[in-house]
Amino acid sequence: MSAGGRANAGEAPPEGVAALPAEPPWTRLDIRVVWVDAVMVVLSFIPTVLVWWVFDIDFDDGSFGIWPALVTTTLGVTGAVGDLVRWMKTWYRVTDERIELRSGWLTRKYRSVPRDRIRSVDTTAKPRHRVAGLRVVHISSGEAQLSFKLDAVTKQTAEELRRELLIGGTAGIAASEEDAASEETPAPGRDETPIAELNWRWIWYNLINIWAFIVAALLLWGLFWLLQIFNIDLRDLIAKVIDWEALGQTWSIVVAIGGTFLIGVAGLAFGFVNENWNFQLVRTTTEKGTALLTRQGLFDTREVFRDDRRLRGIHLSQPLFWRWIGLTETEVVSTGLGHRASNGEPASSILPRAPIGEVLRVAALVLPDGVRPLEAPLLAHPQSALYRRFVSTVVGLAGWAGLLYWMDVTGAVPSWTWLSLLALIPFGLVFSVIGYRALGHAIVGPYLVLRSGVSRLSTLALQRPAVIGWSMQESLLQRALGLVNVGVATAAGARHYKALDLSPAQAVALIHQTAPGLIDDFLEPLEDLSSANVASEEIGPDVLREDGSVGNDPTAFLSPSSTRRDIAREGAPDES
Amino acid sequence: MTQAAQLVQNHRMTDSPSPLSAQPAETAPLQLRPPRFRVERRAITLWTLHAVIGMIVVEGGLFLTYVLWSASRPWLTPILWILGVIYVVNITVMPTWRYYVHRWETTDEAVYSLKGWLTREWRITPLSRIQSIDTVKGPLQQILKLATVKVTTASREGGITLDGLDAEVAAELTQRLTHITQITPGDAT
Repeated sequence: MSAGGRANAGEAPPEGVAALPAEPPWTRLDIRVVWVDAVMVVLSFIPTVLVWWVFDIDFDDGSFGIWPALVTTTLGVTGAVGDLVRWMKTWYRVTDERIELRSGWLTRKYRSVPRDRIRSVDTTAKPRHRVAGLRVVHISSGEAQLSFKLDAVTKQTAEELRRELLIGGTAGIAASEEDAASEETPAPGRDETPIAELNWRWIWYNLINIWAFIVAALLLWGLFWLLQIFNIDLRDLIAKVIDWEALGQTWSIVVAIGGTFLIGVAGLAFGFVNENWNFQLVRTTTEKGTALLTRQGLFDTREVFRDDRRLRGIHLSQPLFWRWIGLTETEVVSTGLGHRASNGEPASSILPRAPIGEVLRVAALVLPDGVRPLEAPLLAHPQSALYRRFVSTVVGLAGWAGLLYWMDVTGAVPSWTWLSLLALIPFGLVFSVIGYRALGHAIVGPYLVLRSGVSRLSTLALQRPAVIGWSMQESLLQRALGLVNVGVATAAGARHYKALDLSPAQAVALIHQTAPGLIDDFLEPLEDLSSANVASEEIGPDVLREDGSVGNDPTAFLSPSSTRRDIAREGAPDES
Repeated sequence: MTQAAQLVQNHRMTDSPSPLSAQPAETAPLQLRPPRFRVERRAITLWTLHAVIGMIVVEGGLFLTYVLWSASRPWLTPILWILGVIYVVNITVMPTWRYYVHRWETTDEAVYSLKGWLTREWRITPLSRIQSIDTVKGPLQQILKLATVKVTTASREGGITLDGLDAEVAAELTQRLTHITQITPGDAT
């Protein structure tokens, strides 16, 4: 197989020509990748050259001498050489049935994915790609991981691949539109309906973040080593500006934390601007329907198409501590948008963090039928769901406290450990109430709406036909309190969503209304609401006796009398 | 108020065209009846054997540590006792309890199962969403002439595993499900 492919490859045009004849040849990534690598090699020598000749720093100077510059150069050269090997060993081709990719030097890899499995084709570009007119193409078949990453092909090939794979054999149209398309502006001639644009006030929603400190730490760490290249110690530099001695210990800590936080916020602000510059969410028309398209990015531009035929719903997530300002993260629930290893946000994210009012407006435009399921009133769950949370909190915390108390008695841990666990109980009760108040569900037109969550209030609107399986779970405590969880399986989004702590009647109604007709055979009238679980436990054998079929009879399920819609009727009539 | 909202939604739903079928307004509360068929009684033996093997591996390993490494004894003793009690319950109570809970059923539209003992789980998977059907027989299952039928969908959580079936019933069921699944118009998700 491998030898055949290589022989075939030898006849292929050596340079990345995006020719797609009937029996397409194996193609390499674009030759410009090599030129980019060459430039990167030259660039990576700059620090060493500068330091050696311009700044005249030797191996023994300062804390680290010339070493940081040398390490930078070595990493740059190794990376470029590795990339060259990768370019030499990577071949791909698109046939009528499938996409194939061979890659790897020490470990040879061959991957083949049928074309009808391809769900999304996206492009990204780093600054070096944009200068060279290159694009990285991400091809996903809806698996958890990315199926293919072509790093990189020409902008034109990328666009042709996208059209070829998503729409099918329209290279001519692609070519005609290609020259008109510019970097950040949309390709003219494409029919687009704007849905949302960047509002600069959203920046506040994206800065308030615990990540500020981590970003600051990373920035300072990077700056420290960058300055080390030129033999400057960041610590000395700060000490020249701020006199730690004069400030005293308390103020030193205040200044250090405040300064770090400000640096972090600045870093996040830059990140937000860089990622969301010129952000646009539009519904664009393609040859075979419509797609949601986001464009964003200052230096690293990003365009993501989300086919409307694969759109199944919307998921909103609101972090607990910012719920009072309505901060909301918005994702489409769609098949084929896996958790991709691309830069930035997952492809399912269609908006930066934004206020809930704006999100609801966008959601109403994104969902095509104008039902507005996310704004519909939800059914409350039984109050025993609150008691269940109280019991779990108290029993859980008290149990751990008891264990720690025992360890305290034996001298393994100090006594404040179990005391502080007991002190957490009131907070746990508050969180129980928050968790209970979050619960809700509804059937709104063609949508199923589920809401739950403590640290994140998560609201899902999912199209009913997108549900491909149901489950209902019941723990001992839930059985005692008359509660069940309903699990909803789907091929889209997170693949599995849960409605927590419904009453059994609510659960059955939810399943029944999500898939009318499907479970009719499995239903019976509920005689007594309060004893629902006891009843289902006790009627089991009676039902069997009434039907006259014994559970262990291996052919019972085949006889037409055993079920109203028996599989034998259609499967094999000769069984009866 | 919630009841009213429910009714309003039911009415709205009858108006909206559903790809599955028109939805009649439900007024009487309903419940799921248990699936029709029990698993084989031999499954009790299978689950007991699994539990015994689990106990031998875990308790045996810990006991070996207890014997060979004397420094571990102070904290290993309570763990051995607690695990021992759990395993005794698991061996004596779990298999029989499971047998009285586990049930399964198939119609020409769906596979329906009920499993568990302390926690119970009902699962319903429409045949139109099934992607593959497998029969699995482990070594112990082969001796006991039992088999597990696995039904998978595009979502891992959407699948159903029916264990403790008679091997012949399982084979026949797999054949039938495969046939019905092929003639049922499925939708590419």
